[in-house]
Amino acid sequence: MKYVGKSIPRNDGFDKATGLGQFTVDVTMPHMLYAKVLRSPYAHARVVKIDTSAAEALPGVEAVCTFENTTDKPFNTSATMVTTPRPAEPVRDQTVFTGEPKYIGDEIAAVAAQTEAIAEQAVKLIKVEYEELPAVYDPLEALKPEAPEVQPVFGNKEHKNVCGEIVRIPFCAEEEFGPETMEHGFAKADVIVEADIKLPRVKQCQMEVHAAVASYKANGTLEIISTTQTPTPTKMIVAYALDLPESKVRVRNPPYLGGGFGVRIGISGKAEILAAVLSMKALRPVKLVYTREEDFLASDTRHGGYLHARLGAKKDGTFVALDTTAWLNTGAYCTFGVELLAVCGVCGTAGTYRIPYLNYAGYPVYTHQQTAGAFRGFGTPQGTAVVEACVDKMAQALNMDPIQLRKMNTMGPDDKNFFPFTVGSVGTNECLDKAAAEIGWAEKRGQPKTGNKRRGVGIACNTHVSNAAPFCVDYNAVNLTIEQDGTLRVNSAIPEIGPGSTTALLQVACDLLGVPFETATMIFGDSSAAPFDIGSHATRTLYSVSQVLKDAAEELKADILSYAAGHDFLDTDPAKLSLEDGIVQGGSRPLPLKELAYEAHLRGKQFLSTKCKVPENSLPFAAQAAEVEVDMELGLVKVLKIAAAHDVGHVVNPRLCEGQVEGGVLQGVGWAVREEMTYVEGEGFYNEGFHKYMLPTADDRPEIVSILVESEDPKGIFGMKGIGEVGCIPTLPAIFSAVEDATGVRFQEAPLTPDRVLAGLKAAGKI
Amino acid sequence: MERLNVTINGKAMSVEVDPSLRLVDFLRDNLFLTGTKVGCGKGECGACTVIMNGKAVTSCIIPVMRAQGAVIETIEGLAKGAQLHPIQEEFIEKGAIQCGFCTPGMIMSSKALLDENPDPTSLEVQEALGGNICRCTGYVKIEEAVMAAAERMRKGEEAR
Repeated sequence: MKYVGKSIPRNDGFDKATGLGQFTVDVTMPHMLYAKVLRSPYAHARVVKIDTSAAEALPGVEAVCTFENTTDKPFNTSATMVTTPRPAEPVRDQTVFTGEPKYIGDEIAAVAAQTEAIAEQAVKLIKVEYEELPAVYDPLEALKPEAPEVQPVFGNKEHKNVCGEIVRIPFCAEEEFGPETMEHGFAKADVIVEADIKLPRVKQCQMEVHAAVASYKANGTLEIISTTQTPTPTKMIVAYALDLPESKVRVRNPPYLGGGFGVRIGISGKAEILAAVLSMKALRPVKLVYTREEDFLASDTRHGGYLHARLGAKKDGTFVALDTTAWLNTGAYCTFGVELLAVCGVCGTAGTYRIPYLNYAGYPVYTHQQTAGAFRGFGTPQGTAVVEACVDKMAQALNMDPIQLRKMNTMGPDDKNFFPFTVGSVGTNECLDKAAAEIGWAEKRGQPKTGNKRRGVGIACNTHVSNAAPFCVDYNAVNLTIEQDGTLRVNSAIPEIGPGSTTALLQVACDLLGVPFETATMIFGDSSAAPFDIGSHATRTLYSVSQVLKDAAEELKADILSYAAGHDFLDTDPAKLSLEDGIVQGGSRPLPLKELAYEAHLRGKQFLSTKCKVPENSLPFAAQAAEVEVDMELGLVKVLKIAAAHDVGHVVNPRLCEGQVEGGVLQGVGWAVREEMTYVEGEGFYNEGFHKYMLPTADDRPEIVSILVESEDPKGIFGMKGIGEVGCIPTLPAIFSAVEDATGVRFQEAPLTPDRVLAGLKAAGKI
Repeated sequence: MERLNVTINGKAMSVEVDPSLRLVDFLRDNLFLTGTKVGCGKGECGACTVIMNGKAVTSCIIPVMRAQGAVIETIEGLAKGAQLHPIQEEFIEKGAIQCGFCTPGMIMSSKALLDENPDPTSLEVQEALGGNICRCTGYVKIEEAVMAAAERMRKGEEAR
């Protein structure tokens, strides 16, 4: 391999370091209008009367759309809308605008005008009379019989305020265990421990707010430039909701987007569809850029809520049974509610350890708050948080070292697991050992603590997936073209949301084909660039696109070599030929692809391949160790260091891969110790900007050491596994474990803010 | 409209502007210098950082007329023709860029620091970048890039 394994600098570095790269917020179009949105000030209300006459009369206003004059066809803003496999059906519980707002921020109307200022003024001129209705905010409250119903039409008919269905993963499958139940499993255990955790909503805080420029023309075509992570599914959602042929809708990135972390898998908030309905009314391009406040308060967050787990083990430490329940707040609309609760169970509770008796129930619960949806990890972090708390408790109950206990129970390559695919290679124990060594586990863990500032170390491990198959529809197409001068062009609808996917994918493509990287290029982030691609999510981009690249590269190479072997050229057996660094070798002379491609062109032939594939799936494993310092007087938790060891199968680009780990770790640190969305009844979430949402910054980050473990996965191309989401998953439980080591208290609620820490220390009699 | 005399990326100009504009609007909408980004509009994230009279400032909270007589550098002014500035090169080389939205502001804050303090400690780099939010990188490689650029600039190396 000439390119795979090397830290090649990313190919969009020039665009981004010079400020010349275009993002959606930078896009303008001829004759363009600007949009602003009217949002509900009530968590639950009915619009009694709406009067838009003053807004419409304002000079410069070109279109006013409300729930009264806009389609009310229900849809789902997330990609689940078009990727839910049968027999399940996507929950379609949202409309473009609503006359019965279900959270503070719900869309009532929108205006397109000559300038943003006019649009803003016009929104203020829309008169709305509301009748306020009772609301519920907490998932456990919402499940009670007396709670107001959030989605009377689309909610679960048997279970109040359950979105879609209760996700039950009855791991004790009847065929395997016969009439046994979970209690039989627990009966075989010598020790049983339980753990609870309450997790906050946290926000993705991608640096570019949601934005879209939609241009509908009277000839029936709609072009959208936006911040979506999934151009093709977004095209399908918009086409469905607005009853347009998919062939007439194009969705693309321009080509960069300022991060995602899951928040725009599907529509970006509602930016694309709001801009589209306004453009269809005005017959002019319309640009909608969310304010940071709208981004914070009217788009998906990570799911917060409650989890409980019960773990049983034999005296020697062998895990026997694990039963977990999650009640997560999915907010007013479903988006990814159901799928996320499933991943919480499958990856968060069932993926890391070998446990014969497993059971999980996940409740996606509707409340009158903004929606929760996808955020890096997608349910796995929540499940991992409660299971790892249980494992630490079990270590204490058995008086065992937490690492030793983990290592004897981790899933092995040949174990039967609960994924519908094989385990593949497993590097968990190597990750545990390397993370432990890097943090100084042997010298530091369990040392007696005195004084005001107490240090401790902790550890946690986890798994995830390398794409969404077969849980949801997941496949992708690529198109490879050899240009007439012999250079390679890769077309894929997949976006570049930040990780460097388009660089790493070209490294893979060039090695698979045997052509130079320097002259290869990739067209990406565009529903028209190639046939279907589900988009950049689920840790899948590099892993899954590489899978289809392999098929396409093989076909293309065979075509090239067979043509080169023809009597016009090398006149030999194609099996004797190979393509190396852009030169056909093995014939009577080295034949440069540059020459061959042009000669082929002169004969009316171009080398092309288009392939489409459902990817395999591989399990990335990880372990992170944390060192913290807790100020017992102030309750301050300072994270000093995270040693993050990740089984990435095979590293494609070490520097880019480390970047994924480091960025993920810091998001995990934020989730554990400071980030939190706080709901104020009657006012909504308090966190309307960065000054009210404490992100980690350059001057208060811990030392982060990323350790890449290569387990060479048999299913991954070149042995690779996914990495994207994994970095943030074990960080929180590792920090909670370290805080427990420092203080003797296992906290059950995140984030570990000083007030919570002091209250916990006091309650435990530690201060 | 008012007359604004300002030097931007080495070019002196005298233009009529709407005084209600923010400096960032003037740069992005009037001059099409869209490399300077807006991440929050409240001076909290640093994506709009430019250098004004030698200091890193958040241009989203600066009224345009405050730039009267000022010398302003934006991300577009850093490269000399096709030759990137060492900070830009090191950001690319060290993997300090991911989504790229914070990058222009991050680079401008770094340049303001290195212009004033050519030999910063890690702590000084961290403090200088404390007002620039990056959600992708965990800041590790950004800090590495700034330290590497500082070293090259001290050696008088312009660019590779």
